[in-house]
Amino acid sequence: MLFNSIDFAVFLPIVFFLYWFVTNKNLKLQNFLIVGSSYLFYGWWDWRFLSLILFSTIVDYSVGLLLSKEKKKKKRIVLLWTSIVINLGFLGFFKYYNFFLDNFVTAFSFFGSEIKESSLNIILPVGISFYTFQTLSYTIDVYKRKLEPTKDFIAFSSFVSFFPQLVAGPIERASNLLPQFYKKRIFDNSKAVDGLYLIIWGLFKKIVIADSCAIYTNEIFSKYESMNSLSLLIGAIYFAFQIYGDFSGYSDIAIGTSKLFGIDLKRNFAFPYFSRDIAEFWRRWHISLSTWFRDYLYIPLGGSKVSKLLSFRNIFIIFLVSGFWHGANWTFIIWGILNALYFIPLFLTNRNRNNLDIVSKGKIIPSFYELISMITTFFLVIIGWIFFRADTVSIAIDYIKKLFSFNFENGLQYLSIERYTPELMILILCFVIVEWNSRENEHPFFGKWLNFKLILTLIGIITLGVYSNVTDFIYFQF
Amino acid sequence: MKQFLKYIISISISTIALLYLCDFIYTQVYINSNPRNKLQYILNTKNESFDIIFIGSSRVANHIDTKLFDSLSNKKTINLGVEGAGLNDNLLQLKLLIANNNISNVFLQIDSNFEYDKPSNIAISEAMPFLNYNNIINTHIKKYFNNFEKLEYIPFYRYAINDPKIGFREMFFSVANKKPRTNPSIGFTPKFGNKLPLIESSLPKTIKLKNIILDEITDICRKNKIQLTLYISPYCSKTKNMRYIEKLITKVPNLIDLSKGYDDKLFFNCGHLNNQGAKIFTTNLYNATKNKIKS
Repeated sequence: MLFNSIDFAVFLPIVFFLYWFVTNKNLKLQNFLIVGSSYLFYGWWDWRFLSLILFSTIVDYSVGLLLSKEKKKKKRIVLLWTSIVINLGFLGFFKYYNFFLDNFVTAFSFFGSEIKESSLNIILPVGISFYTFQTLSYTIDVYKRKLEPTKDFIAFSSFVSFFPQLVAGPIERASNLLPQFYKKRIFDNSKAVDGLYLIIWGLFKKIVIADSCAIYTNEIFSKYESMNSLSLLIGAIYFAFQIYGDFSGYSDIAIGTSKLFGIDLKRNFAFPYFSRDIAEFWRRWHISLSTWFRDYLYIPLGGSKVSKLLSFRNIFIIFLVSGFWHGANWTFIIWGILNALYFIPLFLTNRNRNNLDIVSKGKIIPSFYELISMITTFFLVIIGWIFFRADTVSIAIDYIKKLFSFNFENGLQYLSIERYTPELMILILCFVIVEWNSRENEHPFFGKWLNFKLILTLIGIITLGVYSNVTDFIYFQF
Repeated sequence: MKQFLKYIISISISTIALLYLCDFIYTQVYINSNPRNKLQYILNTKNESFDIIFIGSSRVANHIDTKLFDSLSNKKTINLGVEGAGLNDNLLQLKLLIANNNISNVFLQIDSNFEYDKPSNIAISEAMPFLNYNNIINTHIKKYFNNFEKLEYIPFYRYAINDPKIGFREMFFSVANKKPRTNPSIGFTPKFGNKLPLIESSLPKTIKLKNIILDEITDICRKNKIQLTLYISPYCSKTKNMRYIEKLITKVPNLIDLSKGYDDKLFFNCGHLNNQGAKIFTTNLYNATKNKIKS
C-alpha cells in the first residue's frame, strides 16, 4: 500500500478509529491491531511475503528468549550467528543471488572457463533490507546484554512489522521502539497534530517535489547522450531533489503516522543538503541507516580507536557495505566507494566532526564561507547520485564525462514531456527557501501564519502535485 | 481527542473546499480565456465557414503548411492536427466543429492510428474543462471513459490527472493571456532541422479488422455532405513493416498513399517531416487531391 494512495487514505482513518476508540482499553488488543493492520498493509502489495516477516519475527523472538536463558558464551555466539545467518541469508538470496551469479559467470568466462548460468526470476520482497536490519539489531543488543529480551510475542511482532516504517524505515532500534509497545499509549493532541503536519509536509515533498523532478530526471537520464552539459547538470540536481523528496517525504509520513498512534520514531533526515562537508551530510542523510552501520559494524570493527590504517579500512568497509545495502549493482558499490573517498580526507585531517551544529543557527543568511561549503558538498553529493541513478557504471562515467565537457550549446534543452525546466527550477528554489527557514525544526508548520502555511501547502499539493503518473517510493526497491 | 478530531475535520473540510475552489477557478479561466489550444479554438468558433479542415495527429500538425495549402487551393484552410491525437479525438473535434460551423472538406490522416478507437489522454485532456459546459464533450467522454463519474463528480480530479496539459502552468498562462507557441487559427507547427541518423520506427505487423471510429467519421461526413479525403503522410526510409500500409489500403480503399519517396533529409525524425519537408508534402498533397476538393 502506498502512502500516496486512496487505499491508504481509507486504511489509516479506519485503523486510527479502531486503535483509539475500540481497542484502547486493552494494550494486548491494541498491539494485536497494530500487527493485524501492518500485515494487511504489507499483504496489500504481496501477501506471499508475509511468511518471510512472520518467520523472521519467530526466529528473532526465539533467539532472544534463548539468549536470555543461555549463560555459556559459545552457545550464545551460536545463537547470535543463527539469527544473523537466517536473516542475512534471506536478504542475500532475494537481493543478491542473481548479482553474485552474474559476476561469477563473468569472472569465470574472463579466465576462459564457461559455466552454465541459471539465474532465477526472483522478486525482491518490499522492505526486506529494512526489517532485516531492525530484527538483527534486536538480537545483537540482546546478545550484548544491552537489552532485555521480550516475552511478549505480540509486542515483538508489532516492533518488527509496525506498518508506518515497515517498508522503507526509519530502521528502528528495539531499545527505542519495543518499550513503547509495552506501555499503554495515551492520546496526546499536540503529538498527533505534529504528526499530521509531518504527513502533509511529507506528501508535499513526495507528490510535488520528488514526482515532478522524477519526470525530468527520467527524461534527461534516458536521453543523456543527446544532452548538453547544462541539461546534464540540471538532470543530476533534479535527481538529488527527487531522491531527497521521495525518501525524506516517506520518512516524514512514516514518523507522522506513528505519532498519530502515540509512537515516536527516530528522525531520519535533518536537512542534509545544508551540510558543510560530507561527514555532516552523512550525519543528516538516512540517519537510521548510518547510525546502524556505526553501531553494529564500524564500532565492533574498532571504529576510530584503532590505528589510522585500520580506521581507514573500517571507513571503507562501512561505505562499501552501505552502497551494497542499497542494491545488487556495481553502481551502488561505486557510489559507496566514492563517498568513502570524499570522507577519508576529512577523517585523516581530523575535520570529520567540525560541523556538528545547525548551519547559521539563528541567522537568516549563511556566511559566504558556509554558502561555498554547502554548494561544494552538494556538488560532490550529486556526482555520487549520478552513479546511484545510472543503470550501469559505464553510463554513469559517460554521463560525468559529458557533464564535464562544458558543452553549453543550445542552452536549456527542450524535453518532450509537456513540462518545462524554468518552472521546476522556481519550484525547487522556493522549496529550498522553505527548508532553509525550517532547518531548526522538523517541518515548516511553526510560529506565525501557521494556518496560512498549511493552506498554502494544501493548495500546492492539489495544484502542483503530479497525479498523471504516480510512482512508487524509490527506497521500496531497497 | 475531541480537539484533534475537530482539527482534522476542519483540515478535511478545508481540503475539500480548496478542491472545489481550484476546480471552479481553473474551469472559469479556461472557459473565459483566449484560446491557447485547438480545442478551445473550435469551441470559440461559431457560424464560420471552413472550406478545408485538416484533422489528425502531430503528423498533420507538423506536415500541413496551412498558408501554403490555402494559397494553392485558394480556399479557407485550417490545420487542426493535435500532438498525440487519435481518431477518437478527431471524431470529437469534428462533432464540435459541425455543431456550430459549416465545413466543405475534411482531410483526415490515417496511419497506425487505425489500430486504436479509444481517446488519447493527451488530446482529450484539453476538453476536460468543458465537461460540464458542453453536451457534446460530456456525452463523448461518458461514452469512452470508464472513470467518467470521477471526472464529473470529484472536484479537481480532471485537472489533477491531466496536469501536463491543463495543470497549473497552462492555467497560469491562460490567466496571463500568454500567446501560445502555435496560433490555433492556423495550426501549422513546423519542426526544424533533422536528426541524422534517424532512429528506426516501426509500423504494426498486423492490422485490425475495422475501426468503428473511422466508420463514424465517414458517416458524419456523409450525413453533413462533407467531402472526406483520407491520406497517409510520409515515413522515413528506416521505417520497419511498411507492408502495413498495403494492408491499410485494403481496409481503407480510398486512402491516398503519400507515405514513400521522401528524402531522409526532409525528416525531423522518422515519423515527422521538417519545415522543408512539410512544404514539399503540402504541395504534393494538394496536387494529389485538387480534383477532389469540394467548392
